[in-house]
Amino acid sequence: MKNAVSGLGLAPDAAMITFPIDMFLPGSDIAPLNARRHEFYAGLTQWKSAFSQSTSGAAPLVSVEGESYEDALDKANHLLLTNLWGDGLPLWPATRERVDRIIRGTVLPRTHVIGKFPPRGGITTVETCAIALAMAGGRPEYLPVLIAAVDAFLDPESNAEQLQAASGSAFPVVIVNGPIAKQIRLNSGFGCLGPDPQRPAGASIGRALRLIQQNVGGALPGIGAMANYGGMRYTNAVFAEDEDRLPDGWQPHATERHGYQRGANSISLVFANGVTNIRRRGAKKETAEEDTLQGMHRMADFMRTPNLAGLAGYEKGTPGILMIPGVVAQTMAGLGWSKKSMREFFWEHSKIPAADLRRAGGPAWIEIDANAITRESLKLDPWPITAKPDNFVILVAGGGHPTNSYWMQGYTPRVIGREVRVPESFEQLLAEADRDLGCGSDACMI
Amino acid sequence: MVKLDFHDPSGSIEVTQAHARRLKTLEGKRIGIVTNEQWQAFRTLPLLKQMLEQDFPGAEVLAIDAFPQGNALIGEEETAKLVKQSGVDAVIIGNAA
Repeated sequence: MKNAVSGLGLAPDAAMITFPIDMFLPGSDIAPLNARRHEFYAGLTQWKSAFSQSTSGAAPLVSVEGESYEDALDKANHLLLTNLWGDGLPLWPATRERVDRIIRGTVLPRTHVIGKFPPRGGITTVETCAIALAMAGGRPEYLPVLIAAVDAFLDPESNAEQLQAASGSAFPVVIVNGPIAKQIRLNSGFGCLGPDPQRPAGASIGRALRLIQQNVGGALPGIGAMANYGGMRYTNAVFAEDEDRLPDGWQPHATERHGYQRGANSISLVFANGVTNIRRRGAKKETAEEDTLQGMHRMADFMRTPNLAGLAGYEKGTPGILMIPGVVAQTMAGLGWSKKSMREFFWEHSKIPAADLRRAGGPAWIEIDANAITRESLKLDPWPITAKPDNFVILVAGGGHPTNSYWMQGYTPRVIGREVRVPESFEQLLAEADRDLGCGSDACMI
Repeated sequence: MVKLDFHDPSGSIEVTQAHARRLKTLEGKRIGIVTNEQWQAFRTLPLLKQMLEQDFPGAEVLAIDAFPQGNALIGEEETAKLVKQSGVDAVIIGNAA
């Protein structure tokens, strides 16, 4: 609540009366309300904000001292945790030198304001991003992707204000298209959701985004973020589409969904709140056609659930992200499949019979949805899990192995795209990465 | 000793508006309730209305459905406009969880 109030531009506190969750459950004893009635009256008559100052400008510095560098580093990490700025894993303190080094990765001025991070409303500048990236072990060449992701996150249509605080454990998924993915060592193949020491960019960028969500946006577990489980929240999910293995005629996600030219650097941000590995491949003597069709049905069967989180994006978002490896995409393309025909298949075969939806209590949630198109969909039997086939996000990503595909359950009113801008000195930054991490081309990877 | 200076990562905040002024008394006042209709609001908020009207002579608390309800509506400008037009002296907002 304090975050929400702060995000509205009010002092970050409020006259509020807090009760344990028990009183808000069906059939609860509401007598505690009576016992504390005078707190309500005081809230309306006597309450005063305890907040006395407004802060602005450049991020202040804090200091620690230790008997050695190791001791100071330990103390810095302790301070980051006690100030609720850490995530439980070791961090690099964002020293001025480290932040200055990272800020070379953008064309934007250090003080450029990207927006106010919800729900707390912390002012988010280029420097804020660089500080988080420094803490997360990032490098300057990662900064353009992080800034684009933060900008997408802050898009008013992302609904980040609610998703940051809601109990549904939403996490941002950042899909990268364009040559920058390989240049900065983002993974699109085996283990693309990480971790990967040869392609570490996704971990640092996603962790930096998560730190901003917490430190600037106020999404602290159980305080500012009521996410029950908080899955994927150390590094979020930042990876690339495997454009090298897109079959002929298949377009990259960014081109299909956002209209960006193939070869342009871009990100696409989706909120998800669940992931499922699907065993896609057949086990015996299936033909390629049988193997493909059975796999498609197994994927559709996973989608055909009353996932009420998906209502968030019923009209314009996505029910989820389906990832298939390049080797499967190539086989499917050979059989005449395209991303479009896959989406149409999934839309048709993931529909839920109305009786099943009723049994699961789905209609009550659909009836109270803010979107008229979603409410109207209740007349349909079977009920489509999303308003139109184009809403499904299909990506070619994952290792060169045909057995599994991956489904990330959507919880996102929109799929937000942003182009990524790199500075003129970008080649120099990539050369520094080669110097520091060794050759980064495919030929050099194990 | 080794000193390590590093940036506070929390970002600044900006206070652009003041909280509403508090009332001197609740006696004789009209109070509105804006609710997201969640978390047993249909039980807790009518009880609150009853208590206020019992404890403060002349106080009138509007019914919980006097204004649009539900998460989708309570944050709308239209709802704020209706609250202002109603002439209430104070508003209680519930429930967050």
